[in-house]
Amino acid sequence: MNIYDIIFYIFALATVGSAFMVVTTRNIVHAAFYLLLTFFGVTGIYVLLTADFVAIVQLVVYVGGILILLIFGVMLTNKITNVQIKTGSLQLFPAAIGVGLFAGILVSALLNTEWKTAAGEAPKTTLNGLGFLLMNEYIIVFEVLGVLLLVALVGAASIARK
Amino acid sequence: MIYDFLLKLTGSEIAAGFIQSLLPLFVFILPFALFAVLLERKVSAHMQDRLGPMRTGYHGILQTVADIIKLVQKEDIVPTNSDKPLFNIAPVLVFTGSYAAFAAIPFSSAFIGSNIDLGLFFIVAVSGLVVAGILMAGWASNNKYTLLGAMRSAAQVISYEIPTMLVILTIVMMTGTLNLTTLSELQTGYFWNWMILGGPVAGLVKLAFIPSMFIGFVIIYISTLAEVNRTPFDIPEAESELVSGYHTEYSGMKFAMFFLAEYANMFAVSAIVAAVFFGGYQSPIGYLGNTLDILWLIPIEQFFWFTFKGVFFVFVQMWLRWTLPRLRVDQLMALCWKYLIPIAFVNLLIVGLITVL
Amino acid sequence: MKEYFNNIWLGLFTVFVGMKVTFKHLFTRSVTIQYPDVKLQLPERERNRLYVNMDDCIGCDQCARACPVNCISIETVKSLPTEDLGKTSNGKKKALWVTKFNIDFAKCCYCQLCVYPCPTECIYMTDVFEFSEFEREKLDYSFTTLTPEEIEEKKSNFAAAEAEKAAQKLAAAAAAAKKAEEQKAADNKTSGDKPEDKKE
Repeated sequence: MNIYDIIFYIFALATVGSAFMVVTTRNIVHAAFYLLLTFFGVTGIYVLLTADFVAIVQLVVYVGGILILLIFGVMLTNKITNVQIKTGSLQLFPAAIGVGLFAGILVSALLNTEWKTAAGEAPKTTLNGLGFLLMNEYIIVFEVLGVLLLVALVGAASIARK
Repeated sequence: MIYDFLLKLTGSEIAAGFIQSLLPLFVFILPFALFAVLLERKVSAHMQDRLGPMRTGYHGILQTVADIIKLVQKEDIVPTNSDKPLFNIAPVLVFTGSYAAFAAIPFSSAFIGSNIDLGLFFIVAVSGLVVAGILMAGWASNNKYTLLGAMRSAAQVISYEIPTMLVILTIVMMTGTLNLTTLSELQTGYFWNWMILGGPVAGLVKLAFIPSMFIGFVIIYISTLAEVNRTPFDIPEAESELVSGYHTEYSGMKFAMFFLAEYANMFAVSAIVAAVFFGGYQSPIGYLGNTLDILWLIPIEQFFWFTFKGVFFVFVQMWLRWTLPRLRVDQLMALCWKYLIPIAFVNLLIVGLITVL
Repeated sequence: MKEYFNNIWLGLFTVFVGMKVTFKHLFTRSVTIQYPDVKLQLPERERNRLYVNMDDCIGCDQCARACPVNCISIETVKSLPTEDLGKTSNGKKKALWVTKFNIDFAKCCYCQLCVYPCPTECIYMTDVFEFSEFEREKLDYSFTTLTPEEIEEKKSNFAAAEAEKAAQKLAAAAAAAKKAEEQKAADNKTSGDKPEDKKE
């Protein structure tokens, strides 16, 4: 077990543990901040996988964007003076069935997949390859996504104007 | 370079990496914060025809040292009704965010924490952590002023990240790299190779780039100013209305941590501007080491030039602080969404056109 | 559209104008001074802490009477005829021992009214204005040059002189009475039949 394994387990533990806390904690704001830790752990794992671009996009989009908006929303929907923002768990039984099914699918997928363990150097940067792929092979998907986001943006703006 | 040296010295990858990650803190951030706080006070004082601190040491040069000693001795107050775990984590998170940015800042060709290919993007990305920390501090303090300050700060930083990103995109379009070392190496030579003067290309294209580069520089400077909550964009910590916003309830070392993070951030954004538009660590007038044929002098000179450029932009931030009054929230948003972003977009298109043609 | 570009231009231009102004101020001499080290030149007729030159004081009590807040308290003892107290600088003869000359600066309102009536110009305003104290009693300044023993001595001297005088007077009176008695007796003997004398 070398240092990278240890770091991986630290990140993995942080991710899983904080994800667990997100659903179990009764304080919504705490849940939001545990989510920060989860995202951060995922970023760390990306970095360990030398997926630098994805890691930083994770930081920008999830930590810098989505999470901040989430916390913003949580804070603004409640009274400032009211610190006790609580959630509860409803419908334990159906949830347990759903989670069990999903976990079963995941585990079976995990066991049935043939994992490729090709030896070789990881690329030093994924940026160039990603750019080429996005602009060549996946150009249609990329453009469609761009148009979709633009539509969403225009829609949000027009709703906000009313 | 430093890493290789440390690796040789310690013989262990972990120890070398660890020492290298600590270097910016002790070699740079702490002395810089000491210096910048004094600079801030002196510049403020002299711009208002005052003298500023004069008692501790010659012209008060030991004032910040005395302040630090005072802050260390202070009682660490945690408000009774605060959210204690979050209250205690928040300063650490804020400092982590601004410290992480220093990992990718190229102080010289031999002194860069991690020469990652996405350096520029990374620096902008980790500033998101600072926002999370600020929101955490504002909420955990359980005080209306801190919460207001945190909200304003988050809204402001998120808004102004967009023009910053657009300008960075412009640069990426021109140079095809996000690596800060490569970017600095591109601008090597004399100051006419700097990005602000059209970059290392020659001929008419260079002239065509210059106006776009100036516009880009102004936009990125304004938006980074907003990202570090400096006047005229200091509504998150407006002393006169919010009693300094999100860190109102903090005292002692935790307050010092916020302060340190703020000054580290100030330098980080100045460093981005310097690295992108003003040649990074490159000297404007050639190196003494080259003329004297002493190779080890060059990285030291580069470190000096980078620090000089960074501190100069920090000085301009302070200068602007005493020039401009604070913006209203609506003005702040209008400036960002109505002026900076459209102009940055048009600028991006123009630069793209020139690059393609 | 025109307004939009005008706004941009104004926004940038005015910032540079403002920066020019602040930059100039960076190099103007500061208007503040390092107070305890450097002090401002006080105006010529400033009114600050009082001072009493006891060599010139004749103990006339005029300043105390002029004071609107009664912050000056003076007690004097008459000197003996044998003692020479000297003269003031403007030639007045001193005749009183000033045993107490206290000015309470906690009360003093710095009106300078005590300065004008002084016949010897021995009480005047100085330029000292930093004399704050932690205890109010310390602001009650005593100006007398006499030590408490001396004061006691002067007082007892005076009392003794008084007593002596009184004794002398008493003796004189007694002597006079005796004399008068004798005179009377003699008179009665010599002119017992004079009715006018009896009436006197």
